[in-house]
Amino acid sequence: MTFLVDKDTKILIQGITGTQASFHARRSLEYGSNIVCGVTPGKGGSEHLGVPVFNTVKEAMQKTHPEASVLFVPGSAVKSAVEESVEAGIKLLICVSANVPVNDMLTINKILAANNAKMIGPNTPGLIVPNQTRLGIFPENIHQQGHIGVVSRSSTLTYEAVLEVNRSGLGQSAVVGLGDDLVIGMNFVEALQLFHQDKNTSAIVMIGEMGGSFEEEGAEWYKNYAAKKPIICYIAGDDTTFSKTMGYANDIITKGHISFKQKKEKLKKSGIIVVDKINQIHQELSRL
Amino acid sequence: MDIHEYQAKQILHTEGINIPKGKIAYTPTEARNVASAISNAPWIIKAQVHSGARSKGHFLDSKSGKRSGIRQVATLKDVYKNASQMLGSTLVTPQSPNGNYVSRIYVEEYIPVEKNFYLSMGIDRTKSSIILLAANTDIDDISKLAAKKSEKIFRLPIDDQGPNKEQAAQIAQFLNLETKLQPDFYKFIKGMHKTFIDNDALMLEINPAGIANKKIIALDAKIILDEKGLYRHQDNLRLKDDDNLTPSVIKAARYGFSYQEYDGNLGCIVNGEGLSWAMKDLIDSPNVSLGSVLNVKGGVDRDKIAAGIKIIASNPKVDGIVINILGGFLRCDLIADGIIDAAAEVGLNVPLVARFEGTNRAKAINILTNSGLPIIMADSTQNAIEKIIKAVEENG
Repeated sequence: MTFLVDKDTKILIQGITGTQASFHARRSLEYGSNIVCGVTPGKGGSEHLGVPVFNTVKEAMQKTHPEASVLFVPGSAVKSAVEESVEAGIKLLICVSANVPVNDMLTINKILAANNAKMIGPNTPGLIVPNQTRLGIFPENIHQQGHIGVVSRSSTLTYEAVLEVNRSGLGQSAVVGLGDDLVIGMNFVEALQLFHQDKNTSAIVMIGEMGGSFEEEGAEWYKNYAAKKPIICYIAGDDTTFSKTMGYANDIITKGHISFKQKKEKLKKSGIIVVDKINQIHQELSRL
Repeated sequence: MDIHEYQAKQILHTEGINIPKGKIAYTPTEARNVASAISNAPWIIKAQVHSGARSKGHFLDSKSGKRSGIRQVATLKDVYKNASQMLGSTLVTPQSPNGNYVSRIYVEEYIPVEKNFYLSMGIDRTKSSIILLAANTDIDDISKLAAKKSEKIFRLPIDDQGPNKEQAAQIAQFLNLETKLQPDFYKFIKGMHKTFIDNDALMLEINPAGIANKKIIALDAKIILDEKGLYRHQDNLRLKDDDNLTPSVIKAARYGFSYQEYDGNLGCIVNGEGLSWAMKDLIDSPNVSLGSVLNVKGGVDRDKIAAGIKIIASNPKVDGIVINILGGFLRCDLIADGIIDAAAEVGLNVPLVARFEGTNRAKAINILTNSGLPIIMADSTQNAIEKIIKAVEENG
């Protein structure tokens, strides 16, 4: 097993009959992903893109035993879709859906923790292991197999980071988008841990953003971890990003207002290589 | 979505939270009338803008006088006078340096309080939890505590059941409230929690709360609502106030896009804000800097894309446009079609560089190279920035 999944991982698509889900599920199938079924309530019993469609995840589990689920359902339906698949025994969810209410995410994270399940996203481009499997909406043609793990909070910059890896003549062990919602499932700490456990990964490219302190939490973990793999990080945004805040609560929660400079300093102190421009990533990779 | 103080107070009041009597006014005459209707003198009149620190703010307009966005007034004549000074002016505060237009003011009875304290609930993103914050603000105000003395702020993670009686007692003690106030304090923070949950709030701040007539009262209130949860609260939709949004921002939002304007001359159309920030870091020219950014993330229809592109193409400050799309969800060919439609309608008077990567890239490049439009193609973000700088500089 590489980063959480490989070519054999059995995949379920929740909301498979929708336009976007169909478009991307077809591409994943062409890429070689082992999609075993889909779920769309009311369309059970039919077949779509050559895989069976079920009304419920429970039924899908009994018949096809999926191990991971990719969610394409509307944001308002994500909470119940997560509940349903976790209850059926799925341990890995990739939530492509956007517009998930933050309050729902708080509940979802509790459900996941109680059931020892993981969710990537919401609002994520997903997870791809080049030449093995694609769970999500990544433009698969830009990826090439290799040993650099890529993790990003910004969806579009994930692709930019992948291109930087290619530019240095290297490839990716796995690419994971965390999504840039206020509350997310998998965070940097977990992603960095997984890349450190993964034998196929020798170094990591990390794309952070202003807003919140997910990057700092990742850096804190990294600082205290002994067998460090090199991490190269770019932080998107500056002090004008998210500058408009009403009230003081957010600054208090993060224990002070986090400036762009402070964020970068914190990361550097943990041993992470921080670049100022995204096109410096390939140069730093070449130096490793 | 930010809502106004008076709207926040009305919601809190329905959950049993004690607030001063007050009414909203859109004109000076209305202000005078509501003042005499709610109480005897004095009154507090408060500019309703989506910003904190109004009492530390000032107005940009000379007619508004030197006083801040929150004023205590003693006569009905002064209510009228100060209302005329504030209404229709722009209030700048430490939390909103660009200022906010004041279209309405809130007139409240003046309530003297014994004590001042800060209470809020917000989202702790890294812990994935609601957190309650409390602090005594009799000596230092919350901005000072937040910046320099965060150890003086009580932090309590809140679970689904909301704060319980022991927790309420603990916080009340931290705030040095009299023991007999504890039941009222418990009711108060329960009301805050219910308001937070029942409205899908992201932040609820009462700064300050005080004690008047042996009861806890919210003297100010701010609420930020989660737009993603608004579908569950049709009532809250009417609280949306676009007074301080530019027509371009409103227009972009209609198509599901976000639009931001900076000081520079480069128009950027991207899918994902991160990409525009990365581009900003790559610009290295005295003649080009980031101007307006249209984020078409999620836009999947040709007409919407065209409408979005027109917003940037018709901005007179823009000297050049970069379209930079890394399509995953978004298909590059739809963007290319949209560019052609937009160019046909508003014309292309400035250089345009396009870069596509990802889903249906080849198709998009094909559409644009065969369009007959003077579009410069680029093959990376860096390349796109280099090409647009060159084109803008040559164009003079």
